[in-house]
Amino acid sequence: MGVAFVAHCLLNQNSKVLDGAHCAGVYSPIVDVLRARGWRIEQMPCPELAFAGLNRFWAVREQYDTAAFRRHCQRLATAVAGAIEARVHQGEEVVLVGVEGSPSMGVTITSSDPQRGGRPAWPDGSPELTSGEGIFVEELHAELGRRGITVRVAGETHAIPGHDEAAQRARLESVLEHRDA
Amino acid sequence: MRDERSYRVALVADRYVNPEPGHLDGLAVLAAAGWGVMQLPDDSYPAEVARPLLAEVAEQVEEFTRRGYGFILVGERDGLAEALALVGVALPDRIVPASAAELREFLAVQPVPSALDAASDRPRQAATAAPE
Repeated sequence: MGVAFVAHCLLNQNSKVLDGAHCAGVYSPIVDVLRARGWRIEQMPCPELAFAGLNRFWAVREQYDTAAFRRHCQRLATAVAGAIEARVHQGEEVVLVGVEGSPSMGVTITSSDPQRGGRPAWPDGSPELTSGEGIFVEELHAELGRRGITVRVAGETHAIPGHDEAAQRARLESVLEHRDA
Repeated sequence: MRDERSYRVALVADRYVNPEPGHLDGLAVLAAAGWGVMQLPDDSYPAEVARPLLAEVAEQVEEFTRRGYGFILVGERDGLAEALALVGVALPDRIVPASAAELREFLAVQPVPSALDAASDRPRQAATAAPE
């Protein structure tokens, strides 16, 4: 048992980009696993919400990869890292639960399209998904690294093609139990 | 994909998100009622940890409020009123519920958020990424 620092939208789908909310409020499949195993839940801020607002467009990583957004993420990361550091000093295990495919919250899968821009019209599909971290997760890992802290990571996979809730649950459980997925 | 958001958000004290055994599970009640949750920092955090977290909560509340989302406060948190004041937002309607029924009754009488009306007129657009 320990403390799971979760992406904001896992407790609040209202923070999602428009057309991105897949339930009314709390995304229970992740929350239920954490609670069933006795993990505390602590919610991180949504990096995109306060920066680009609720009416923001869907975007890929390159569109958010600006100096201003990085500064914003660094500010958030410093705040979150302070909380993580406090938990680590209390002897707690910490895991980070992000959102796979997100340009800011992806932990192993983010989105990339160097040409994306201009008037927002593009074909449906998911060709931009690529291995890597979102920008906030990258900045949080950098801040934790400066503090000598490493954390395990898991991701919500609802937006990934072939999403399977049972597989998502199994991956999260393996991270919580510190097993190789 | 159909957007399922409720346009209703509750600021929630940590003790209702991570309740002690036998205490009110506010997160479960809010989830069942379709409310989103913005968790407030645990009271055990020192001020230097809690203050920047509250500042980020406040900035996000300001955006939700400006866009007409419904807001309530479940529980309390030292420093929240001050953080909200810095972004020009007043404390929303509040409850410190003793039971799940009391919380459910409070949720049931909340007004319909104005953002719901605007949402019905909003054009949909094709998109592919999976933003946070």
